[in-house]
Amino acid sequence: MPATGEAHPRPLVAVAEPLDQTRAAQVLCGRHIFGDGAGAHAELFFGRSPEDFEHRNRYQLCLIPSETGREWLGALVRLNCNYFVECYDGFDLGDLGPLRTAKRGANWDLLVCMSTQSAYQLPMARKFVTALRHRGIIHDTIAPTVEMAVQEAFANSMIHGNLEMNTTGHLSMDRFNELGEETARRLASPIHGGRAIMLTAKKRRNGNVEISIHDQGSGFVPPDETPVPKLPGAESTFGRGLPLIRSLCHDVTFDRGGRTIRLTFAPDASAALPLNTNFVAGLEAAEQAAGQGDLRNPRDATILIADDTMISREIIASYLRSDGFTNLVFAKDGEDALEQAHRHNPDLIILDIIMPKMDGYEVCKALRANPLFAEIPIIAQTALEENEGRTRIFEDGATDLILKPLNKAEMIARTRIHLENRLLVKQLQAYQERTQSELEMARDMQEMLIPKAEQYRGIGLDYGMTISASFQMSSELGGDMWGLAPIDDDRLGVYIVDFAGHGLGAALNTFRLHSLIWSDDRHDDDPGAYLESLNRHLKGLLPVGQYATMLYGIINRTAETFRYASAACTSPVLGNVKTGSTTFLDGSGVPLGVIRDARYETRETAFGIDNFLLLYSDALIETVLDDGALLEGERLLHLVQDIISETGGMPDLASHLADQFMDRAPVKLHDDFTVVSLQPNRQNSSV
Amino acid sequence: MNYTTEKSGNTIKVELNGRFTFGDHSSFRKLIEEIRSQEAETQILDLSGVEFIDSAGLGMLLLARDEGEKSRATVVLKGAQGQVKRMLEVARFDTLFKLED
Repeated sequence: MPATGEAHPRPLVAVAEPLDQTRAAQVLCGRHIFGDGAGAHAELFFGRSPEDFEHRNRYQLCLIPSETGREWLGALVRLNCNYFVECYDGFDLGDLGPLRTAKRGANWDLLVCMSTQSAYQLPMARKFVTALRHRGIIHDTIAPTVEMAVQEAFANSMIHGNLEMNTTGHLSMDRFNELGEETARRLASPIHGGRAIMLTAKKRRNGNVEISIHDQGSGFVPPDETPVPKLPGAESTFGRGLPLIRSLCHDVTFDRGGRTIRLTFAPDASAALPLNTNFVAGLEAAEQAAGQGDLRNPRDATILIADDTMISREIIASYLRSDGFTNLVFAKDGEDALEQAHRHNPDLIILDIIMPKMDGYEVCKALRANPLFAEIPIIAQTALEENEGRTRIFEDGATDLILKPLNKAEMIARTRIHLENRLLVKQLQAYQERTQSELEMARDMQEMLIPKAEQYRGIGLDYGMTISASFQMSSELGGDMWGLAPIDDDRLGVYIVDFAGHGLGAALNTFRLHSLIWSDDRHDDDPGAYLESLNRHLKGLLPVGQYATMLYGIINRTAETFRYASAACTSPVLGNVKTGSTTFLDGSGVPLGVIRDARYETRETAFGIDNFLLLYSDALIETVLDDGALLEGERLLHLVQDIISETGGMPDLASHLADQFMDRAPVKLHDDFTVVSLQPNRQNSSV
Repeated sequence: MNYTTEKSGNTIKVELNGRFTFGDHSSFRKLIEEIRSQEAETQILDLSGVEFIDSAGLGMLLLARDEGEKSRATVVLKGAQGQVKRMLEVARFDTLFKLED
């Protein structure tokens, strides 16, 4: 502890393994990341994948290891953190640092800093934009435009900036090959390839989003404004896209001697529809509550009248009293207005602009700067008729303006309107906070039904398998659930469930089924017989019209089989890492809870060391992706094949698949999203 | 980006897949060598499986066109959609290539 006894804020830092304590401490010491030196006493959390980090924790920084490739790019979307920094050999932020302080309130809404070597290989623009969408910083509708601009600007900073490649002149095939070889050489050298490249994004108050790309090269000098060439002829060269970037953004500016390019995007006006579906429900509830009397009557509101002349104060008071407002307090100048506001905590303020000591503008600013008064209605009254003063008072935070001489009817009408709005908003906020916290509790409870990353990994280890999973709850509560049931040394049971519908009802049903599954340890039965018994129990519990789809299967590693039964579940994908082939298993069967004596067939397939299995909920195949199509049938099989061939059979299939899905799916899913993959570890596979 | 090639008669058809961006140097180089090694009057680049292209990718398409001209082959761009289609339009590739749906 410092001598002053002042406690240092301890930033929470998520550290991706295989980075260890020593390496993290090395990178965090000094002031190049945390400008206040708080990195030295950061609280470190370690994890192997983004799923390992508690979502309720807000991490100030995530350190990612070098050369991990795509796995950790997924953290941009899935981790509750805004700052991602790769710890590569020769890591040196230079004038890019410090990145932040440990205090709350970061400069950037999203920041990613990587070495040129790593970033070159990765779809950075795509991931960055996906992460911005998921954080609500940009809307789905402008995302494709933003991605194109970021991709071009990123390529510019990387190729012209950090790698200092000269790509001007006519591009022949020979020249192209030369450039390619030179790029590879420079990427491999610490001088060029070891330079950092940083992407940052910030949403401004006016709704504009600024995305900047910062490099450590010698500075890119933008060419003079030349008109976009009509035809891309011989001059079109590798990585040159400034005219294109300009055509995609609201504005493009350069900074740090051309080593920072800043793109500004204006929000898409057509997308400014209310996103919050709770809003309408909240409004109805507030209206109901209004009738129940716990909404305060606007006439009981406390109104502060701030005016330097007594006559004016009396006139306003008499108008308001005549309409039934009796809780009036007064202030005679600007300073007094602030004092009275603090003393009486009024519901509305009527404020004169021209006043001694402190004028109305200053009072407005001071009030708005205080969170306590951030939303209180302020009606400014003034004799100023010129536009400048009127605009200014609104900029300083006034809600409304009334011109002197005052008109009684107008004064009363505006007071009433603002008070009613104010009380309604208060009610809505209270209602939303309450439902929000209840929903969050239900979500947390539902998440507890699903194995945590360390649990499923540990179980996988016991069975010589790699198990990977990704679960994303829909905007409402959903009915997805999955789990593992170890039976004996050879056999591992696995199930995936999706209750029809969503909302509280579906969530409650998942709880019911979960307790049924775990109330009885007989998972070693024949899967078909198991589903039959589960169905009989569930039919007795579920109201008519509610049902679930489920698959239960047993992997036997000695017999090398997968035996399963399905109640209308999505068809699992069975693949082979060696041959790259993929095929659907049979998911047909009657849903659970529909008929009492449903029969379920036990199906069997070979499941050897080269195989893998993918289970998923229907959100994966029933969500319309950005190209208007679904990820179903052959398309899903192909995507799985691509992932397997791209990753060389690396077994984190579920999280790779989830990452690719999220790149292309809308932010708000209508249903829970679950993907689980199971794959035996191959002894001879390379590490 | 990955690709598959298929030759039938005087036509060579290349199916490109994935993202086609500045990092796809070496796979593009391999592709050009593969096309070069086969005689064909028409080279069809099927872009329907390409989900994203940047200006570097466009530059590479232009190179493919130059290479095609050297061996007097016509280069056709086929099936571009979404962002790829938009980029081809912005860059007025209709004036440089034969475009097919």
